[in-house]
Amino acid sequence: MAPRVVVMGLASDFGCQVQMTNIEDDLLDVLGLIDLSYWQLASSGHMPAEYDVAIIEGAVTTTEHVELLKRVRATAGVVMVIGACAVTGGIPAMAGQGDLEERYGCVYGADGAEVACGRVSPAPVKSVIDVDYEVPGCPMDTTEFLRVLSRALQGLANRVPEEPMCAICKTKENICFLDKGEICLGLFTRTGCGARCVTLGRPCTGCRGLAKDANVESAMKILAAKGFDVDEVAERLAVFNTLEEAFCR
Amino acid sequence: MTVANMFKEPGANPYRPWPARITSIIDLTEHEKLFELRIIDEKVREGFQFDSGQFVELSIFGVGEAPVSISSAPSKQGFIELCVRNAGDVTGALHAKKCGDVVGLRGPLGRGFPFAEMKGHDVLLVAGGLGIAPLKSLINHIHDDRHDFGTVTILYGARNPSEILFRYQFDMWKHRDDFNLILTVDEADESWSDEVGRVTALFDKIDIDPDNTYGAICGPPVMYRYVIDEMRKKDMDVDKIYMSFERRMKCGIGKCGHCGVGHQYACIDGPVFNYWEAMNLQEAI
Amino acid sequence: MFFRVMESSRLPDLVRGFAQDHEVIGPVAKDDRFVFATIDDPAELRLDYDTTLLPPKKLFFPAEDQLMRFRVADNEVLDDEVFAAPRVLFGVHPCDINALLLMDNIFLKDYVDPYYKARRDATLIVGISCVPSEECFCNAWGTDEAHWGFDIFLTDLGDRYFISVRSVKGAELLDDFVETREITDADTADFQRVTAERKEMFAEDLDTSQLPLLLDAKFDSPVWDALGERCLSCGACSMVCPTCYCFDVRDDLAPDQKTGTRSRLWDSCQFSEFSAVAHGQNFRDSRASRVKYRYYHKQWGYLSKFERVLCVGCGRCARACAANITPREVVSALAKGGFE
Ligand SMILES: Cc1cc2nc3c(=O)[nH]c(=O)nc-3n(C[C@H](O)[C@H](O)[C@H](O)COP(=O)(O)OP(=O)(O)OC[C@H]3O[C@@H](n4cnc5c(N)ncnc54)[C@H](O)[C@@H]3O)c2cc1C
Ligand code: SF4
Ligand code: SF4
Ligand code: SF4
Ligand code: SF4
Ligand code: FES
Repeated sequence: MAPRVVVMGLASDFGCQVQMTNIEDDLLDVLGLIDLSYWQLASSGHMPAEYDVAIIEGAVTTTEHVELLKRVRATAGVVMVIGACAVTGGIPAMAGQGDLEERYGCVYGADGAEVACGRVSPAPVKSVIDVDYEVPGCPMDTTEFLRVLSRALQGLANRVPEEPMCAICKTKENICFLDKGEICLGLFTRTGCGARCVTLGRPCTGCRGLAKDANVESAMKILAAKGFDVDEVAERLAVFNTLEEAFCR
Repeated sequence: MTVANMFKEPGANPYRPWPARITSIIDLTEHEKLFELRIIDEKVREGFQFDSGQFVELSIFGVGEAPVSISSAPSKQGFIELCVRNAGDVTGALHAKKCGDVVGLRGPLGRGFPFAEMKGHDVLLVAGGLGIAPLKSLINHIHDDRHDFGTVTILYGARNPSEILFRYQFDMWKHRDDFNLILTVDEADESWSDEVGRVTALFDKIDIDPDNTYGAICGPPVMYRYVIDEMRKKDMDVDKIYMSFERRMKCGIGKCGHCGVGHQYACIDGPVFNYWEAMNLQEAI
Repeated sequence: MFFRVMESSRLPDLVRGFAQDHEVIGPVAKDDRFVFATIDDPAELRLDYDTTLLPPKKLFFPAEDQLMRFRVADNEVLDDEVFAAPRVLFGVHPCDINALLLMDNIFLKDYVDPYYKARRDATLIVGISCVPSEECFCNAWGTDEAHWGFDIFLTDLGDRYFISVRSVKGAELLDDFVETREITDADTADFQRVTAERKEMFAEDLDTSQLPLLLDAKFDSPVWDALGERCLSCGACSMVCPTCYCFDVRDDLAPDQKTGTRSRLWDSCQFSEFSAVAHGQNFRDSRASRVKYRYYHKQWGYLSKFERVLCVGCGRCARACAANITPREVVSALAKGGFE
């Protein structure tokens, strides 16, 4: 029997689900192998009670999310998270820094904390339940999505690259941003996207999360020695990696 | 022509696996199975000559490749046996295969035990856990040429009785007087009537003639140092103690660089090294 | 070997001549750096380049290289052909020519690598003399000159090129496309003068005496710990190195999961996963052990087999390393037992 798959979103801009629609042709081939029981972005129906694979986008931001995830974990044999929000907390996680009550006050007015009741500090899915497969990135890379999905269908282990971005960047013969006097987070960020941004002429923003192999301490020292403002580096890193230190290391 | 040479022929592609059919699968323990494989191409199958201690790259397309020692004896032709632990992607995919399925093989690869050199001598074989896989080939080869060897001592240890591999064969061999076989486990259960304790403790129970004995060791990396210490205490020569190293391998043919041990490559310079070589090899033991 | 002299103004004719039956690949500008790329117009060629971002190895052993296509159901290879069109690699420095010879030892000996071989066989090499830059230390390994490994080699004498001809194919093509003349004593004298002047341009010599023995004798040197603290494990050094040949192998399935491709990808011994095996064991767990292995392999492991070190002193790793870990620094720190 083809595995029953559901695709759902927590807090995100649905960017990764949109990415999924961008690979229509390939997706149709994959769809031939799976039973797509529910796709939040594309279907109007309800989540079925039973399914085998749950593909989850978005960060955890409410107690409802937490409950939902617990139910999902109890139902699905395989949980796959896609996109920076779900994998590392991504941009939503930045909002979780500092005094949450006060922030809700800013966003929702004086009685904000009450309106926003049931909110939790934004966090990646892995902070709530065990995750089997990860496709990082903002938005996720479709080739990588298909590769990970294929591994999941074959029952192979989750394998997120552990090395920083620079090696693959070198194979593209990019001229290093650091040599041009611009901050690039490639030294910190896990590879796997083919250094897409750098190759397109933008420095790496760290959207794929910290590389396990990265030497953060040394990289900071090196950037400082090269005359970069380390506070700015830290700020840029925080955009996608606020919670990385805590959850990845 | 042997298969190893066929790989080296002009125009041959040493990365291209030969299709091989699984002709039998035996569950050995919870994690290990014994696979019998027949290379489908007859010419290749018949040219497949190897030494104990050599390995093959097992290839499952879509998943990848993994190096696995040949467990059967070179004296048995037409098939090979692999004793495989489910340890990850490729080995897991192999475990999911059924009899009659086709997988790929590249090999035989590497340098095995010096069987010809060992002939005419006593041998002391020490295996820990899955390390019995390559030694099983050597043991059976010696068995088939038994008259060419002096005393044959086999020490084999595992964590617990359920992890002893090939127990059906060894239980029989315990009663033979041409093999001195001692089994031991770290933790015994009620079914266990053999030794309890580390394999190194068994050295008190054996007598060897140091000038005339070849040693062969295979087991988890931590085991080597201790076993070698015991062998050296018995005055065995450094260049008569052989051991097999496990390293990460991708190509098996000295190209991908993954299997480096000190200044050597385990895939082509080993995986079997003698202790003198290993002493001169950084990162070895 | 025989020699010829060609007027510098003839160079475009030579390039155009080669282009008739070959793809011509040579150094071109990329911002303020250089890369090897296909030449459509001889004017694009920048024979005054210092070094390229990636070495010529990318043309023989690409960063991502499909080995075969396969079918899953019966584990069958569908296709493992290598397509290699004839080409000329025009303007290769001595270090990179020597680097290819070092690669040949790995890919063309014992188990011949058919992918590398097909591309190597289909490629003519035209060498070009160079001016050492600050990072170059090829003189330390004797790879500052190329004696073989090229079809023809052009030494720039200003108004003319002194051409060393190594192969029949090189001689034929040279004959076919440009007018050259026999060398005179004056040409040889100029050739010697240019060579001697170039020798003077190298930064101070690197002391590599007894390096392989030092690597062993000082295997536990604290120098490695210090380098390990700095190293970013980024692998940039291996990627840009003309002599690093390590690779990983990966299978990818087509979306329908029925067929797929097996490819190899450049890998680096600086990655923690490089020597990890099953059951959580890793033979080079620390950054220090990995930085050390890079040098140990290059200056001793390879040497123990092929009697040459696996470095040609091109300086690319020094340029690429954000942590500024350079062979020059490492080798002298090891010899001195510490950093200056
Ligand atoms: C010469 C030799 C002989 C051998 N003989 C035998 C034998 O007879 N029997 C036997 O069972 N085994 C044998 N082995 C061991 C066997 O090769 C390994 O168990 C096998 O390679 C595991 O491959 P796999 O694809 O199943 O596991 P993998 O999926 O490769 O994973 C195994 C483990 O390696 C690590 N790992 C691998 N890749 C990654 C990655 N990308 N990122 C992070 N971690 C990673 C992980 O810890 C993982 O759990 C031998 C090994 C050698 C070198
Ligand atoms: S541009 Fe960025 S990713 Fe590329 S090498 Fe430089 S720091 Fe690394
Ligand atoms: S080690 Fe560095 S200097 Fe030596 S060949 Fe490689 S890139 Fe060039
Ligand atoms: S082991 Fe390291 S230094 Fe040696 S060739 Fe491979 S990547 Fe380069
Ligand atoms: S380029 Fe430098 S920082 Fe990166 S792995 Fe190599 S030595 Fe380490
Ligand atoms: S396994 Fe590739 S070099 Fe040894």
